Amino acid sequence: MSLLSVFDEALRVARPDVYYLRRNFLSVLVTMLVTPLLYFVSFCYGLGSSVSDIGGVSYVAFVIPGVVALSTLTSSFSAIANKVLAQRIYYTSFDEIVLCPLSPSAVILGKALVGFLKSMLACSILLAIGLLMSADGMHVTPMLYLCIAVSCLTFSFLGVLVGFISKSLTDIIMFTSLIVVPMTFLCGTVFSVSSLPEAVQYFISALPLTYSVECIRAAALGWGVPLLSLAVTAAFGAAFFAICHWMLVSGRISKK
Amino acid sequence: MSSSKRPSRDPEAGASEYIIDAEGVVVRFGEKTAVDGVDVKVLPGEIYGLLGPNGAGKTTTIRVLTTLQTPTAGRISVGGLPMPSENKGIREKIGIVQQMISLDKDISVRENIICHGYFQKVPKADIMRRMDSISSAMGLTPFLDSTVVRLSGGWQRKTSIACALMHDPEILFLDEPTAGLDTQSRHMLWDMIRQLNKAGTTIFLTTHYIEEAESLCNRVAILNGGRMAALGSPRELCDGIGRFAVEHNNEDHTRSYRYFSDWDGAKAFAAGFGDDESVVLRKTSLEDVFLELTGRKVTADFVKVVRI
Repeated sequence: MSLLSVFDEALRVARPDVYYLRRNFLSVLVTMLVTPLLYFVSFCYGLGSSVSDIGGVSYVAFVIPGVVALSTLTSSFSAIANKVLAQRIYYTSFDEIVLCPLSPSAVILGKALVGFLKSMLACSILLAIGLLMSADGMHVTPMLYLCIAVSCLTFSFLGVLVGFISKSLTDIIMFTSLIVVPMTFLCGTVFSVSSLPEAVQYFISALPLTYSVECIRAAALGWGVPLLSLAVTAAFGAAFFAICHWMLVSGRISKK
Repeated sequence: MSSSKRPSRDPEAGASEYIIDAEGVVVRFGEKTAVDGVDVKVLPGEIYGLLGPNGAGKTTTIRVLTTLQTPTAGRISVGGLPMPSENKGIREKIGIVQQMISLDKDISVRENIICHGYFQKVPKADIMRRMDSISSAMGLTPFLDSTVVRLSGGWQRKTSIACALMHDPEILFLDEPTAGLDTQSRHMLWDMIRQLNKAGTTIFLTTHYIEEAESLCNRVAILNGGRMAALGSPRELCDGIGRFAVEHNNEDHTRSYRYFSDWDGAKAFAAGFGDDESVVLRKTSLEDVFLELTGRKVTADFVKVVRI
């Protein structure tokens, strides 16, 4: 099966979510932007002036790419995980998709696609705000967009995976509390991870947002992108996709 | 299944012509066996009903036949294609209306139907035309722009059927299609099912409404405890236990039933009770067959609860 036909099928799978987005665009956008904007306000305006430069750049310039990286996680993950869970368990409309002659790869990609696009849009808005706040420190380049895109896709696949694994809304809330929230605080979004104890650094090196923050920050601040971090972020995405694929093909996505 | 409950017509004569052909289907969930060695053989153009009490294994059977559930054991082909190697091909030939309304409730009726056209790879040029003709035939046109969540259960069910018909399936699976609907909506759906069948669609439906199976189905299979208890046309199944029923109201407010193959025998038995008001002499119904095969456990349990 060619990549083009997988993409064509993925667009078909994404269609209901596109219709939903079209109907509720403004409310979806506002919901996505609230958390990162709060981070902007509290860390850039609240803390910004009282914290010294980090790595040769102002704290505000340091935080903006971190918040953008954070947004690649928060904008895509919860919306997709909740939607997939609702479609599987409460609406059972996911069965309708599984029952159609569509490839498993297309189903996963299709479910991730709208979250990915929403997340890219949110990041673009945040970058624009970031440029207004710290124009001299930011470099918006194709490489930065590549890093953001890889990160958005990785966390979109994570959202699909958690939507597949969860049996109820409680499972998603628990995953968010135990994995997502610690990631948002510990993975270097608003401070340098080198200031953390070594044991904690080992722990956060197992979390995908750490690598995502590293490459997005490096690209945004013109530091030269750590390609290894970009590759590790992509590898996390590939692993999430592969697990979703295995679950779908082996029929391990139970209805209840 | 006892031989007396088998239909006189033997559909096994044309084994190669079965559009749904499943043998020895077993589904286990851990320790629990939901479906235990069930055979399903459906002829093209037939309305085949799977009847059973709650928890009999009807939905699990339909999920297996529609590729949604992998069986623990068994050999299955649908539309001449073997499962699981040709699951994708099978999905092109079937439509399914699930027991729960499985629509995207946040979008409109029109958008749901269009999406199903895209999911089923209906040519883009045909999607709008098919949507218009199906929604018009089903009376859905005035509701096309309504969000699904705002519709009543009957109209949601009709939308589900419209979605399932977008790719013109050879076989339509309906899992308890009229559950929870009012009488009018139920009859409306029955008419629609008959029309679809007349147009050549094979219908496989599960139900626990006896009158639904009796009214619609060419053949009915009764499933109980995951096993096939009987198979035949409604008339054949009734003949299997006796064409005439004598129903007697007992003093403890329970009822007893006896079945007879001839009217005279039934009449003579009924006369033995003397009191006309406590005895009903009538033709055997599919409900009698169903209750004889699946037991009158609910009534017995209810009496027990009342006595407690």
